[in-house]
Amino acid sequence: MTTAVMPSGDAKLEVRNLGKSYMKDDRGIEVLRDVCFSIADGEFVSIVGASGCGKTTLLRLLDGLIPPSSGAIYLDGRPIEGPGYGRALVFQQDRLLPWRNVLSNVGFGPEIQRRNGKAERERAARYVDLVGLRGFERHYPHELSGGMRQRVNLARALNAEPEVLLLDEPFASLDAQTREIMQAELLRITAEAKKTAIFVTHQIDEAVYLSDRVLVFTVRPGRLKEEVKIDLPRPRQLAVKRTPEFVSYTDHIWQLIEQEVREAIGLEAREAAALHA
Amino acid sequence: MPDAVQVAQPRVEQRRRRMRIRLSGGLVRGAVSVLAAGALWEIAGRTFLNNPLFFAPLSAVLDKMGELWASGDLQVDIAVSFEEFIIGFILASIAGIGIGVVMASSKALCQYIDPWVSMLYATPFVAVAPLLVLWLGIGLAAHVAVVFIVVVFPVLINTYSGLANSDRDLIEVARSFGADQIQIFSKIRFPGALPFIVAGLRQGVARGLVGVVVAELFGSHAGLGYLILISGQEFDAAGLFVGILLFALAGIGVVEIVRVIERRIAPWRAQDGRS
Repeated sequence: MTTAVMPSGDAKLEVRNLGKSYMKDDRGIEVLRDVCFSIADGEFVSIVGASGCGKTTLLRLLDGLIPPSSGAIYLDGRPIEGPGYGRALVFQQDRLLPWRNVLSNVGFGPEIQRRNGKAERERAARYVDLVGLRGFERHYPHELSGGMRQRVNLARALNAEPEVLLLDEPFASLDAQTREIMQAELLRITAEAKKTAIFVTHQIDEAVYLSDRVLVFTVRPGRLKEEVKIDLPRPRQLAVKRTPEFVSYTDHIWQLIEQEVREAIGLEAREAAALHA
Repeated sequence: MPDAVQVAQPRVEQRRRRMRIRLSGGLVRGAVSVLAAGALWEIAGRTFLNNPLFFAPLSAVLDKMGELWASGDLQVDIAVSFEEFIIGFILASIAGIGIGVVMASSKALCQYIDPWVSMLYATPFVAVAPLLVLWLGIGLAAHVAVVFIVVVFPVLINTYSGLANSDRDLIEVARSFGADQIQIFSKIRFPGALPFIVAGLRQGVARGLVGVVVAELFGSHAGLGYLILISGQEFDAAGLFVGILLFALAGIGVVEIVRVIERRIAPWRAQDGRS
């Protein structure tokens, strides 16, 4: 269970010595420092850590929305230089376009790529079906519940046909029951669509339930603290969450994070004090 | 699995039905209110306001309207005013949206244009109307120009602020899918600004109708403003009210048309707005 960098070559996605800093109120803030990991094709990896450990920043770097301050990210051995090719981001808030119906929101990715053929429309309809929203193609986002909107958000990302799916706490705003259902759904969908997935969350049980591996991050500057391989059989039912193996995984990860959370609280207090000084 | 899905369906339906009922209830009350006001008008005109120099009961106004219609004058007046309004309104909408887009897409151009917009928007347009009549003569050109000037600013300002307040989160979605600047504008910023633009058009309608009257009052040969002007000079209260009534109806009609358009292009907003 130690930090290890897989040899490059067979990795789908490889992150090498990644660092990110930015300026805020004339103070430099180092968000990520020297992050290294790789992800194999078809693997489901979660990233957990105390709030402020740079999880969302890491995802935005992987998507290419922001450039790294140091280091590099390789997809199939090619460096990532911007958004687009091979990746799609499932946003924390659903961020659907309110003036487009479900089908048209799901078709947004291919439309941006200027692919508007019959095949694209049929594929969009298939993904609407895959996320369980058949019959809602013509509904507008304001007519849907929060869980349904997140399904559209997921379908929109899948329909861009990414090789790596990036998910930024997509179930954080859902109620506990809906979240459980959506977790099971996500497992089914990523298995069916055979996607590599990177899932950011602060819910430990969610990370263990979904993942092949969980990467635990330290507080700012975020670094890889430990990687935990999850050896639970697949396909996983929700009942797996009550097994002793599952609980020992979550306990172990919680212990890793607890110390970080305490440090994060201390860090926040010190920052607040510095701001008032 | 699709439990959540099946539960949500009737909820949407229910909400739609409730909205329809509320709408028809509102329609009935609105009609009652208008009819009651009409009756009050008639009674007032026949009793304590019984002086044809200053006031006319509703029936006399309708009689006068029939008379003007039979003579063919009213159709000419309506056609003239409508033409002035519609030409000025369409030109102002195109220019207002165009300039708003230009201002939103270039900070430098915006800074060049901004002082003029602020200055002209604050100028009482009634002060400009006689000048335009002086320059362009009595007729279509001057009246269209007045309508143009009063309509263009609300459209321009709303277009600009709609585009300036684009949703950054949605722009990021587009960027994430690899959109270029033109796509971000055409697929995120412009559709997002449409409700603002339509709101600007709605303000423009109200101001444009006032513009028609004022322009015609400063000099004209025909039009509803001309009818009001002549009737006023002849102490013909019924004729005055014909003009006023027709303007009011035109205002309601056009605002209603704009609202239908608004509901079509921005159903997610129309729902929380007035129904």
